[in-house]
Amino acid sequence: MKRRYLAVMGLLVIMAMVLSACGGGAPATQAPPAPAAQEAAPTEAPAAEAAAPAAESSGVVNLTFVSGGPGAGLDFTTKQVEEWNAAHPDIQVKIIAGPSSATDRYGLYLQTFQAQSSDIDVMEIDVIWPGDLAEHLVDLNEYGGAEAVADDFPAIVTNNTVDGRLVGLPFFTDGGLLYYRTDLLEKYGYSAPPATWAELEEMAAKIQEGERAEGNQDFWGFVWQGKAYEGLTCDALEWVYSSGGGTIVSPEKVITINNDAAASALDRAYSWIGKISPPGVTSFQEEESRRVWHGGNAAFMRNWPYAYSLSNGEDSAVVGKFDATSLPGAEAGMSAATLGGWQLAVSKYSKHPKEAAEFVKWLASTESQKTRAINISLIPTKKALYEDADVAAAQPFMPKLLPVFTSAVARPSTATAPRYNEVSNIFFTNVSDVLTGKQSGADAVANIELDLQDLLGFEVGAP
Amino acid sequence: MARAGGSDLAQQEQRLAYWLLAPTFIILLVIAIYPLVSVFYNSFTNAVFASTTPTEFVGLQNYQTLLSMTIKVVPPKLDEAGQPIIDEATGQIKYESAVSVLPREPMRFRQVTQFNLFGTQYVLGATDPDFIRAVWDTIIFAVATVFLELVLGMIVALIVNANFKGRGLMRAIILVPWAIPTAVSSQMWAYMLQPNRTGFFNTLFWYLGLGSGEIPFLSDPAWQLPSMIMIDVWKTTPFMALLLLAGLQLIPSDIYEAADVDGASPTRQFFQLTLPLLRGTIAVALVFRTLDALRVFDLFQIVLGQARYSMASYTYYQLIQNRQMGYSSASSVVIFVVLSIFAVAYMRSLGVKSDEH
Amino acid sequence: MNTKTRQRVNRILLWVLIIVMAIWMLFPFYWAINSSFKSESMLAMTPATFVPRDPTTKQISLFFRNYEAVFTNQAFLRAIVNSAVVAGSVTLLALAVGAFAGFALGKLRYRGKTGTLYVILAMTMFPAIAVLTGLYAMITNLGIQPIPSMIATYLLFSLPFTAWVLTAFFRELPTEIFQSAQVDGASPFQTFYMIMLPLTAPALVTTGLLAFIGAWNEYLFALTFTSIAPASRTLPVIIANFPSQFSMQIPFGEIMAAGIISSVPLIALVFIFQRRIVAGLTAGAVKG
Repeated sequence: MKRRYLAVMGLLVIMAMVLSACGGGAPATQAPPAPAAQEAAPTEAPAAEAAAPAAESSGVVNLTFVSGGPGAGLDFTTKQVEEWNAAHPDIQVKIIAGPSSATDRYGLYLQTFQAQSSDIDVMEIDVIWPGDLAEHLVDLNEYGGAEAVADDFPAIVTNNTVDGRLVGLPFFTDGGLLYYRTDLLEKYGYSAPPATWAELEEMAAKIQEGERAEGNQDFWGFVWQGKAYEGLTCDALEWVYSSGGGTIVSPEKVITINNDAAASALDRAYSWIGKISPPGVTSFQEEESRRVWHGGNAAFMRNWPYAYSLSNGEDSAVVGKFDATSLPGAEAGMSAATLGGWQLAVSKYSKHPKEAAEFVKWLASTESQKTRAINISLIPTKKALYEDADVAAAQPFMPKLLPVFTSAVARPSTATAPRYNEVSNIFFTNVSDVLTGKQSGADAVANIELDLQDLLGFEVGAP
Repeated sequence: MARAGGSDLAQQEQRLAYWLLAPTFIILLVIAIYPLVSVFYNSFTNAVFASTTPTEFVGLQNYQTLLSMTIKVVPPKLDEAGQPIIDEATGQIKYESAVSVLPREPMRFRQVTQFNLFGTQYVLGATDPDFIRAVWDTIIFAVATVFLELVLGMIVALIVNANFKGRGLMRAIILVPWAIPTAVSSQMWAYMLQPNRTGFFNTLFWYLGLGSGEIPFLSDPAWQLPSMIMIDVWKTTPFMALLLLAGLQLIPSDIYEAADVDGASPTRQFFQLTLPLLRGTIAVALVFRTLDALRVFDLFQIVLGQARYSMASYTYYQLIQNRQMGYSSASSVVIFVVLSIFAVAYMRSLGVKSDEH
Repeated sequence: MNTKTRQRVNRILLWVLIIVMAIWMLFPFYWAINSSFKSESMLAMTPATFVPRDPTTKQISLFFRNYEAVFTNQAFLRAIVNSAVVAGSVTLLALAVGAFAGFALGKLRYRGKTGTLYVILAMTMFPAIAVLTGLYAMITNLGIQPIPSMIATYLLFSLPFTAWVLTAFFRELPTEIFQSAQVDGASPFQTFYMIMLPLTAPALVTTGLLAFIGAWNEYLFALTFTSIAPASRTLPVIIANFPSQFSMQIPFGEIMAAGIISSVPLIALVFIFQRRIVAGLTAGAVKG
């Protein structure tokens, strides 16, 4: 009896092992193949490996690079990696698609760092992560980082420098933009996009009223991101900073949020809901707001540059009828755009930090950024590229928006490191309460100040 | 084999039982022992996830922060004469702000909710109001979904147990909601619940004249939990239905034939024959469904994110976003305790004793 | 009302219920199919259309590119195989081991039964995220490949489920069979293998289907364990991270298409196995 029992168990275990072996448990040696067809980037699928398997003692260094989510952007970066591999037979890079969601990617990086694994050498990190992850990243100054960032926007370099250590080279940048319908502005007699929030309110209300009267009951004046998540911190920071209310916590580590300008900025946003912004805006992330805009149902939208090319796609209702500019401010000239974008970093646990730094410097260089800008619309961080004729020809909106990107306001991630996520959480939860009518702007900023004091122990002060 | 006295056969049974259970225990212990022990251990420390800051033992502090609650009276705002001020617009008494009433030292209490009892306004404060709300929301979610799924699952199981043409197809159809990956069905439902007329429900309500077509299902607190419950009931009723169906199949049909001969109505047959015989299956289905509902994560994370937490998604955000490994481990332990209470309560009340034959 | 009419009425009621039930179960699935044939601009139309329509002409127009994108996606096709392997192995293991445990807990007498039941259940009482970190550390340090690690870790949640359900079913089986087999001279193991197991076929199929689907749809562990092994990614990971044109875009139409396609094999599986859910108790076991 016992024998038969053992035989059955053994059979099951063997079956399971066979099945799992068939499933290809071996780690990937090819780059993820091209998914959707893509007009911008050349279409040969990278069927050839982007990495050569390591020879036993040939001195080839193999690096693993975790990049963005799967898609056209990754496909192009993969081609760039292949270029590098062809030119550098001794440093072979394997590129792997990371998860599309930033939170998932952050969690993954944390898991690898917790395990102190050397599996990942180079990684793409969000603009708000240098402070948090600095202790696990290599100081690129030791590998010539200072020259590499000489031409980058200073705000980004400051953002990526934690306690004097440069932990990330800028890969591309992003900033909040005001999209507006050129056809509707013309129709209702406006010659230029709004420069102040008051102007925006007036224009949005008039256009909305007019469009609704013509029968489009789903039309709204202004859509943005109001759900309680990191994106709301971006939107709200723009309102606050453009009203002179500071940046929640200043780079000098002073809590500045509790002031009248900030409070009134939040109250103003609350006043939009139901009037020029839909009640559902409090559940909008980037894609939901873009969907309203894409269907032609919004006069103004606050969103990131990615929406520009999409809105000019063949299938959009607003093709050729819109443009983008800097966001309004409390007064003309006080515009603020939250800094976005991604950086390239090298893990401290990598076995080949020097080679990884070489690769990173190449991928973040001006030439690489130029091809990316032209082909996949990733906004460069190098000042020189905004005067480049080729870039201007391929992407006319980029040079036009230079002022937006140079004056972008960074979220206080480096100042509040390593607790930025909690700071952001406190901020967006309280702002969300203002937007849903649960508390006034004044109460909100007072609460935020108290909570931040508890959390960080910083001083309070004026912005 | 001789029909020996109790001890020989009993011993053989006991040994066989241990052998049969060994694989289960080995697998579970090998996989779970390290993670579970580290969860318990970390809950007593202030460990930070993926960090080089040294970890210190903090005893019960995490639990204190998670669970401390207090109730305070909120006095009304008084005018110069000492009379409560009444808000002109709403006719309600104006109260002081909760922040002034809740204690600040040694830990800061923040408001969870306010309520009115016999004319006095109270505020329920907690050191971690998000967690308290998450626990409360999750329990309500679990109770509602399990109840609805049980009732609807029972109905569905009875229907596909009956004899009719196309029964096989129906049985495949009822599993469709369960078969769609959660990532897809959550996105699909989030899209159906869009706060404007691109979403199905707003379009439907608008056609039926029930709304403006702009109902914010996922940001209006009153609609959030019902929306979650609806999604989960749709998704998981098949699970219950299938379990109950299998249980129904175990009941021999002669019992029903005999009851028919006796003239018992179908309803009576159901309540007096079927239900008691299904008790074991219902017990297991209830236990697992409730535990799964209390552990709900994917649904809340994908649809609501940080707008509203379930216990598990709160733990996730504490660990991944805030990197508080010690704190999130403590919250995992609290979740474990909550689930154990439910499990034990079920086992006791459903009278499922292990030696029943 | 005489019996004939009452039977008629019951029949009609039954069919009404069946139709309502079918609509409720299938409508969201239909909506997903509807959405999968829509382009971005069609998805942004207000009011939402029940059939894909061209935004300007309002004529019915199907957008096939979403499906094209899914079928040409190598990672997606490979993920179907990975998911099948993982879910299949987990189900087989959980059923086998769970059946053994179920028999012991359901039919045999021994000390410590309640304790055993609770310990097995206790494994499922932690949220997945709690055990994820420890598990990831374990598999990284031991260098275990992603697919076996997924199989092993999914067992943590599937095995207690199968063990408990099969315990309940074994318990329901009448002891007479057990005892008569013993009288006939069969050892307890023979009783299990040759009589109990076939009788619990409905339970095994049911539990197997539910466990299979549960393992098929698992996301969090799969995402973490396959983070640097794209070739081992399972369907939910690929679908949730479906390639998009631009960084923040969520390719909704394609995700719906991928979801529909990945549900089809599951539905087919259920349709094939649902026959086995039919009872076998009166198939002569007691009388024979």
